[in-house]
Amino acid sequence: MTDGDLDATDPRTLPGFFDALADGELLGGVCADCGQILLPPRPACYACGSRAVDVEPQSHEGQIFSYTAVHTPPPAFAADAPYTVAVVELADGGRLLGRVAADYADVGIGDPVELTVREPTATEREIALDYEADWPIHVFEPR
Amino acid sequence: MPEPVIASVGASPLGRTDLPGRDLFSVALAEAFDDLPDPADLVEAVYVGNQSESYEHQIMYGTLLAEWAGLRHVPAERVEGCAAAGALALRHAVKDVRNGEHEAVLACGVEKMTSAGTSGATDALSAAFDRAIEQRSGITAPSQYALLGQRYLHETDATERDLAEIAVKNHANAARNPRAQFPKEIDVATVLESDPVAPPLKLFDCAPVGDGAAAVLVTSAELAADLDRPQVRVAGSGAAANNIAVAERDMTDIAGARVATETAYEEAGIDAAAVDLAEVHDAFTVCEALLAEAAGFAPSGTGYQSYRAPAERADGWTDVQLSPSGGLKARGHPIGATGILQALEAYEQLTGAAGDRSVEGAETALLLNEGGVGDAVTVSHVLTTAEAP
Repeated sequence: MTDGDLDATDPRTLPGFFDALADGELLGGVCADCGQILLPPRPACYACGSRAVDVEPQSHEGQIFSYTAVHTPPPAFAADAPYTVAVVELADGGRLLGRVAADYADVGIGDPVELTVREPTATEREIALDYEADWPIHVFEPR
Repeated sequence: MPEPVIASVGASPLGRTDLPGRDLFSVALAEAFDDLPDPADLVEAVYVGNQSESYEHQIMYGTLLAEWAGLRHVPAERVEGCAAAGALALRHAVKDVRNGEHEAVLACGVEKMTSAGTSGATDALSAAFDRAIEQRSGITAPSQYALLGQRYLHETDATERDLAEIAVKNHANAARNPRAQFPKEIDVATVLESDPVAPPLKLFDCAPVGDGAAAVLVTSAELAADLDRPQVRVAGSGAAANNIAVAERDMTDIAGARVATETAYEEAGIDAAAVDLAEVHDAFTVCEALLAEAAGFAPSGTGYQSYRAPAERADGWTDVQLSPSGGLKARGHPIGATGILQALEAYEQLTGAAGDRSVEGAETALLLNEGGVGDAVTVSHVLTTAEAP
């Protein structure tokens, strides 16, 4: 193992991943042995166990793989409900969950979307843990 | 290797109660030890399934419940795995007896979910999901399962009506279960017309929030015989973790549940066709469909037919009866206690104590308990009658 020097600038850690995302770059882990995409990047591949994980920028474009609307939100998100959430399959093969900036009725499986990134709102900052306060929020926009 | 058996069971009332967790446990324990020596004279270790400290601001549940049982200086610990915590506790007890470390171990589970209302429970349960991506996107337990359900409806012939029929079936079973939180029948329209929670899931697709505790005593077969107790063998136990984030999994092949169940079958020396009844983790109706497939009861894409009589199911289905207790949906789902309640149902079924909900001639039961969304962690147990081959 060669990860003893992992620090918060490394995109295989959450701070490193979100720093890049704040700059508009979605980074994924790519297993050097089996090709599995890992979102967010991490030191080991869950598919084959390899620890040879490269980090590469991922396409922001993808398609809705599954979706729903949250009608009974956690208290912190009460004001947003109902809001649409989806699992999106990105063009490079990875899958990522996120909010969709569209009404549930206007979304379907296979719909094209694009990942966008914004700063957390005041409410989101309030519920964030200290180390999360500046982490951006990603949202899928219909294309 | 000593053969682990369940020698006694007990549970508290389920639902909205005026008792805190430790007191719910005291009620469950009193039932389990009604015809036995005191716990202090038998129990050598304690495992407690418990989801969250959010409900009571209380961890150290192993210590607390050992003390409330009158035990001191025994190993005691809380086991955490969200809704699979109960079966994980059972699994630890089974392993302790199997490897000869202890002769009698108490496996129990407790949750005081109603302490902060539905929104409090929603918040506490959301901690089971990946913090970085999923929680910060506002995901909830029903919406996670809705993502599985939406995909399942997309890939199979199943309809929302089929999912509703699963809820109707489980309520009908619960109507014959005096322990059930909702012992009443419902009709399909009630499910289909209930409020949207996370489409395609509606209120009546969802297991309720509720309080509850349950306890089972796991012993060696010899000790159970000495105690003159009806016993049920724990013939197999399997567990498997999968990705924490639902996006990274196969959302309709619940692979972790498949692996855990195959391990349990292998240990028991059986296959899916030998299972007479299964208590599966129907936290949401679609789970029962998915788990029927993962457990090998149903060909891929046909698990949604679990509500039908065996003769009316697709070719390749076994004759298994699913969730005769009423399942999580109607028997109740006090998170950390659920895996223990599943074991309790199988014990009653296999010892002839299930009254008019008895599955006729049942000799073999599968318990399938999940934590997190889907198979983030799954625990499977095969229970058989003492007489089964």
